[in-house]
Amino acid sequence: MSVELGHFALVLALALALVQAIVPLVGARIGSSSLMRVGEPVTITGFALVSVAFAALVLAYLQSDFSVVNVWENSHSAKPLLFKITGTWGNHEGSMLLWVLILAFFGALVAAFGQNLPPTLKANVLAVQGLIASAFLLFILFTSNPFMRLEPAPIEGQDLNPILQDIGLAVHPPLLYLGYVGFSVSFSFAVAALIDGRMDAAWARWVRPWTLAAWAFLTGGIAMGSYWAYYELGWGGFWFWDPVENASLMPWLAGTALLHSAIVMEKRSALKIWTVLLAILTFSLSLLGTFLVRSGVLTSVHSFATDPARGVFILAILVFFIGGALTLFAVRAASLAPGGLFHPISREGALVLNNLFLTTATATVLIGTLYPLLIEAISDNKISVGAPFFNLTFIPLFLPLLVAVPFGPLLAWKRGDLAGAFQRLQFAFWAAGATAIAGYFLIDRASAVAALGLGLGIWLIVGALTDLALKSGLGKVGVAVALRRLTGLPLSIFGTCLGHAGLGLSVLGIVSVTALQAEHILTMQPGQSTEISGYTVQFQNLRPFTGQNYTEEQAQFAAGTVRGGSLGEIVSSKRLYTARGMPTTEAGIKTIGLSQLYISIGDQTPSGLVVRIWWKPFVTLIWIGALVMMAGGFISLMDRRLRVGAPARRKAAALAGEAKS
Amino acid sequence: MLFWVLAALLTLAAALAVMRPFLRRKKSDRPGAAHDLAVYRDQLAELDQEVKRGLVSETDAAEARAEIGRRILRLSQSASDGVASESGGRLERIIAIAAILAVPALSWGLYSALGSPGLPSMPLQARLNGDPAHAPLEDLIARAEAYLADHPDDARGWETLAPVYARMGRFADAVAAYRRTIAIAGANSEREAGLGEAMVGQSGGIITAEAEAAFNRALAADESNPRARFFIGLARAQEGKRDASRAIWQDMMSGLPDDSPWKAAAAQAIAGLDGMAAQNPPVAAKNPSEEQLAAAQQMAPEERQQMIKGMVASLDAKLRQNPNDPEGWSRLLRSYVVLGREDDAVRALERGLAALGPETAEGKSLSELAETLGISGAQVNK
Repeated sequence: MSVELGHFALVLALALALVQAIVPLVGARIGSSSLMRVGEPVTITGFALVSVAFAALVLAYLQSDFSVVNVWENSHSAKPLLFKITGTWGNHEGSMLLWVLILAFFGALVAAFGQNLPPTLKANVLAVQGLIASAFLLFILFTSNPFMRLEPAPIEGQDLNPILQDIGLAVHPPLLYLGYVGFSVSFSFAVAALIDGRMDAAWARWVRPWTLAAWAFLTGGIAMGSYWAYYELGWGGFWFWDPVENASLMPWLAGTALLHSAIVMEKRSALKIWTVLLAILTFSLSLLGTFLVRSGVLTSVHSFATDPARGVFILAILVFFIGGALTLFAVRAASLAPGGLFHPISREGALVLNNLFLTTATATVLIGTLYPLLIEAISDNKISVGAPFFNLTFIPLFLPLLVAVPFGPLLAWKRGDLAGAFQRLQFAFWAAGATAIAGYFLIDRASAVAALGLGLGIWLIVGALTDLALKSGLGKVGVAVALRRLTGLPLSIFGTCLGHAGLGLSVLGIVSVTALQAEHILTMQPGQSTEISGYTVQFQNLRPFTGQNYTEEQAQFAAGTVRGGSLGEIVSSKRLYTARGMPTTEAGIKTIGLSQLYISIGDQTPSGLVVRIWWKPFVTLIWIGALVMMAGGFISLMDRRLRVGAPARRKAAALAGEAKS
Repeated sequence: MLFWVLAALLTLAAALAVMRPFLRRKKSDRPGAAHDLAVYRDQLAELDQEVKRGLVSETDAAEARAEIGRRILRLSQSASDGVASESGGRLERIIAIAAILAVPALSWGLYSALGSPGLPSMPLQARLNGDPAHAPLEDLIARAEAYLADHPDDARGWETLAPVYARMGRFADAVAAYRRTIAIAGANSEREAGLGEAMVGQSGGIITAEAEAAFNRALAADESNPRARFFIGLARAQEGKRDASRAIWQDMMSGLPDDSPWKAAAAQAIAGLDGMAAQNPPVAAKNPSEEQLAAAQQMAPEERQQMIKGMVASLDAKLRQNPNDPEGWSRLLRSYVVLGREDDAVRALERGLAALGPETAEGKSLSELAETLGISGAQVNK
């Protein structure tokens, strides 16, 4: 019964979503405050209903209820408990339901905490949210219904794809969806402003935290996905530029731009129209990302034969929301009052520069991702646009942006002083230069690019810290006073610092792994040992092992330093999941400081076991950096102040040394 | 029934949510301009705070105050949008009623089209607890598997399940179950023979060295085990030693009671040997393992075929690397004949003869085997 109750709750949620999409909007048009207020309780009830539906599906997975087609297709009674739960969203139907659950959750948050929003704005925002929810609920119920039944119920299920049977599935998709869907709120605010033809003062105040939260979740989601691919696929790579990854990178880039332009919006009431456009674009890319993962927008249109309904529906949703919002933007943008003016050299100017680079970078990723799909759809030729394309386009675009990052927070609002900023960044500059030179001569003389890359990472980190030091007045006042001032700084300043420093950490990790990693492929007999970058790896033996739903051959290695110190054991294995008869490789990873030894095993040959060993220096910095960025986002989010950017006075430009928040 | 009550309650709750704003009159909303004004006031207060903390200099703060002041002025000029009407007009009432009615109409209408309200949930436990008499064989096996997953050391369970697997053509599972039984309860003649038979099924009727070892262990424990004896006979036949296999089977015919299925199987096998001599068909003894093979091929023909192909291909590859292996060549030849791949068998014979030398003792016995298998030297020569 619980399954059918979940199904019914989902249908009921659709009915409420339609009411939510129409009634408050009409209310705002005809000026009826009661109709406008309908949005609030309906949104919250809708969230409760979607939760019931989701809980029913999770319960079906927990009980291995194979009378539900979706559960039968993606579960197995022998699966460990955790993967029974996470398996709920490890498939198309279930993940769409999770998407809608998060959408409803965010809608309910706006409804519950938006007490001080102007009623018209709130009504419009909730109506747009309702519209998105309606579209997705219709899509779920008519093309991807997770509550379809099977009679009679088979006794055993088909099991979850073994690659997904990992703790990564518990973390990565929920974080990613929190990010994707979080941008829907910014989108709803943007469309609501366009519908109304005016932007309230509260608008910017509301958009920034939502964008920030979504961005922080998305950062974590992408980083988690990257680490998951790194250890699960057994190739030792952290980023493959494949369409699914690009699909999540695009909203992140656009979202980063939105985050920065929203700061200008909030503090200076400038860049309003641009922010609205970015909010629309960011969520559009999130939608694209959501669907690209489902075997691709173009592919799903292409494979009409297999499931025409789904492909057409996806296309219709994309056209309706992206096309609709952009049309509305074209018609209404002119009616929005433009914001304040500023000089090109100013904090605003720096943020515009940031936006230009980020949106261009987004465009290159979009082209690199969609072009092969387009070619395939038109001509049946498969072309592959891989790392070389992105190295030639994306990286040159991103480098100047990274160089410019530390300047931004040091420039004053409205009128900045570039020379002054240069001066204040002196220390960071020398630190970066020293790192680059030391890197070139001490570590690897072969690659000047790598040395410069390391310098860039240090430049970002020290630059970010410089901002903190200056704002606390270190050097000008006593240490005690500076410390007191530091602790008194608004949290958002720490957020900025962590965000930029985290970026620097990731850059350090990426450069160091790309330029300095060592790879060793060989065949090994038990007892044989090999050396890699100052570490020894000894192959001990191969032994069978049986897990709850798999069997595996475990290869045991003893890791140590060349000098004879022991670092413990590394186990790498080839696993066979019995239900699907599908093999996977489980890499063996040993973290030493910030670096990792990474071992993955291949086939048995007459001359021994094929073993691939990588030494990955500072590889963990890539994800630590992302986590630091995420933490920066949340710390900034805790800053609940209303923020005002005080502009620098024309005559007192020199006084701008005292930086503003 | 309970489902309908709960569904009705949910619908009622949803309809009430739509109705709520009309049931409870809230105090009149402030106009949009008032909200904006509040934001600007907050901004001014915040600015004072920042000055106090020393984050903004007094001069900059003065400029910022002036900016905010200008925004407030602009606001009071444009503050003409009136308060939203509270008293419901006719239109409002129509929309409200339509919305409230739409909730049950839409949800019940759509659910009746999409849902299966009569179908109860079927958790694993409920399915396992169902009446076994009506359950198909697959379900019974699954129940036994579920039981054994919880009691992996129940040797009786594994021993019961093993021959059932073999009969269903799930030879890999059968092999695993026999191994499990032997590991827990120890080896005996019947278990070893069953293991061997499952292995023969797995390799598509070819008696591998591993399987033969199992049959030999079975005979060591009980030399009269008919299953093991039958398959050892078959092994000899597959090696082309027809006299040896005939001797084994004839021995079984005379020693076994009339109602033993193995007596009939041996008789059929001998008839098969005689027929083969006359018409040169491939090894075609009609015996239990052949029947199982047929059943297996019905179960999962592609997989099984694939597996056998893989085994033969790996043997072929091994012989390419190490061709000086007369035993291997005769096995390869036999395998190709059993698979019905005459051309490959002829080629294997050519390669074998080339490797071993046609005039050596090994080469001659390979040629003899080829003849008994129905591959003539004439084919080799052309």
